[in-house]
Amino acid sequence: MGLSGELYRLFYPRSIAVVGASRDPNKIGHILLRNIVSGGFKGKVYPVNPSTDTILGLEAFPSVSSINSEIDVVIVAVPAEKTIEVAEDAGKAGAEFLVVISSGFREVGRIDLEKKLVEVARKHGMRVLGPNIFGYLYAPSGLNATFGPREIKPGRIAFITQSGALGIALMGYSTVEEIGVSSVVSVGNKADIDDADLLEFFGDDPNTSTIILYIEGVEDGKKFLDIASTVSVRKPIIAIKAGRTDVGAKAAASHTGSLSGGPALWEGVLKQAGILQVKDVETAFDYARLFETYSVAAGPSILVITNGGGAGVQATDTLAENGVLLSEPPEEYVNYLRTFLPPYASTRNPVDITGGAPDEHYYLALRKALEIPGIHAVLVLYCQTMTTSPLKTGEAIVRAVEESGSNKPIVAGFIGGSEARKAIDYLIQRHIPAYPTPERAAQALAALYRYARLREAVRRRLDLLRLSGEIHSKIPGELRREILKK
Amino acid sequence: MEDESLLLCSFYGLPVPKFGVAQSSSEAAEIAKKIGFPVVLKVISPDILHKSDVGGVVLDVRSPEEAQEHFRAIMRSVKLRSPQARVRGVLVQEMLPKGLEVIVGATRDPSFGPVVMFGIGGVFVEVLKDVSFRVAPLTTVDAEEMIKDVKGYKLFTGYRGEGPRDEIAVIDILLKFSKMITELEDVSEADLNPVIVYEEGQGAKVADARFLLR
Repeated sequence: MGLSGELYRLFYPRSIAVVGASRDPNKIGHILLRNIVSGGFKGKVYPVNPSTDTILGLEAFPSVSSINSEIDVVIVAVPAEKTIEVAEDAGKAGAEFLVVISSGFREVGRIDLEKKLVEVARKHGMRVLGPNIFGYLYAPSGLNATFGPREIKPGRIAFITQSGALGIALMGYSTVEEIGVSSVVSVGNKADIDDADLLEFFGDDPNTSTIILYIEGVEDGKKFLDIASTVSVRKPIIAIKAGRTDVGAKAAASHTGSLSGGPALWEGVLKQAGILQVKDVETAFDYARLFETYSVAAGPSILVITNGGGAGVQATDTLAENGVLLSEPPEEYVNYLRTFLPPYASTRNPVDITGGAPDEHYYLALRKALEIPGIHAVLVLYCQTMTTSPLKTGEAIVRAVEESGSNKPIVAGFIGGSEARKAIDYLIQRHIPAYPTPERAAQALAALYRYARLREAVRRRLDLLRLSGEIHSKIPGELRREILKK
Repeated sequence: MEDESLLLCSFYGLPVPKFGVAQSSSEAAEIAKKIGFPVVLKVISPDILHKSDVGGVVLDVRSPEEAQEHFRAIMRSVKLRSPQARVRGVLVQEMLPKGLEVIVGATRDPSFGPVVMFGIGGVFVEVLKDVSFRVAPLTTVDAEEMIKDVKGYKLFTGYRGEGPRDEIAVIDILLKFSKMITELEDVSEADLNPVIVYEEGQGAKVADARFLLR
């Protein structure tokens, strides 16, 4: 069993103790307990608080060891100095995981306390998540052990965050954006369990298809690179790396020294690991929305259908900036378009079906594009006009997709007012990734190709490393030294 | 020292200019003849950081007589302008033809270990910080991609009527350099600066190398 196996009980606990659970509804210890209880978690929950008998209708215990039942996960929400004592007690009770919410460790210079905490946990064979975190959530277990929002939309995206406040905010944002989440894990100071451990778990997790990372730095870079590479060839990993503009101009004697350690190194590392680096939260969610539905395109030929020239140009530029170039549509397709489009429509790529295009024209143009084997993906752009209806256009797209039974990637960009927004929601509910600008739609579709290129490079890279490792191990030491000398 | 750096590079199969160390003016002429003209003469001293400032460098030396003459001139000038400096001799080095100058470097990152850097020389590295990094050991895939990652990559593909540059030679240098920095644990930072890249099929040469020991 690998590390993912090791983290199994963290995500599928049979019982949880909440140390520092409180009757005061404003306390973190109360919100945590309330979120666990009301989230649909099926296992046993034990509040631990020596000065009360019941909290939220549950019997409270003075300590973890006094529960007298097997405990898988202990959530710790007590002041930092008291965590060591709790860890000893939890260890004696046979707990497997400590989830330390408390702050007041490395982040305020108390490295000693953090080391002590990990030491005690190790002694008892426990793993530690945190400290300095807002908790974690795993939808398949109905487990919301966070002091963040109570409700999230369950889905297939796992989100690992080093930032607490941003993580909580994104839980809310994902709900508003209707992005479905399998898990949210706050990693905080990463005293023990780190990004790589979690990547390994989510890499194997059948409930997760895409992973988003918000990362500031890692302690063990090699481990991160090695594990991320093996996960990214199976499912997309999207990373927001904090400190992109930090030039990190440390005084160094060489060029390389003065230029390293900053964003340029991380850019390289993320590429080597096959991770899709994004600049902002918005793009991360845009990508995630795309990967909810698609992860591969059969080939490079993208067709853009638009009712506005400007939107088409913006999309073309964005695709090109992301390394995707448009080619002319197949002749068969052009001939078909000519049968119903007005003569002034452009049948090149982007296909401009003109501003007055009724929803029926969208239907016909898309339906045919989905049938032709030489077209591999379609970007449908719609600019709201006085004579056309966004929702009807959305419906025409869904009809074309459903009738064709095609699984070619289709991404929509609907630009306009509140009605366009409604059409976007409608499309998203029917699993067609849709965005409010042509640039965001094009960028999302391009991510499919970006991911394919990254994955291919990582596969080749891993093959080469394996090969060189095999050659290395086959040559005996003496001979190797001789070869080196030459 | 420069001669040691170049020797170390050649141990790892990195292409370096032909060179030798002369202790006398006649030796300088002998080495220069063996290398072929033109050559460059450079004073070797652990105490002199900017060699040209003390008259310690002469470019484009074209005959044995010139080599003898400039050897003596360098010794005189250094003695005059930097009397305390220890002088280990004069490096006689093949003068490389002009080409596209790139920088290959390495450092040790506290969390990723040895990392390799690539950049195009001059303003690209110094002003625009147009560089790419990869964690060592590099594979061919990494080397190919880190060259393409820099914004100045267009200079590689042919520019102002010049043919495309020998990318394969640079990939080879990156791979050998990666092996070198991975194996030599005492080296904390290293720069091959500049590496001169010629047109396709003509190779590339490490013109100068610096190693910082821990």
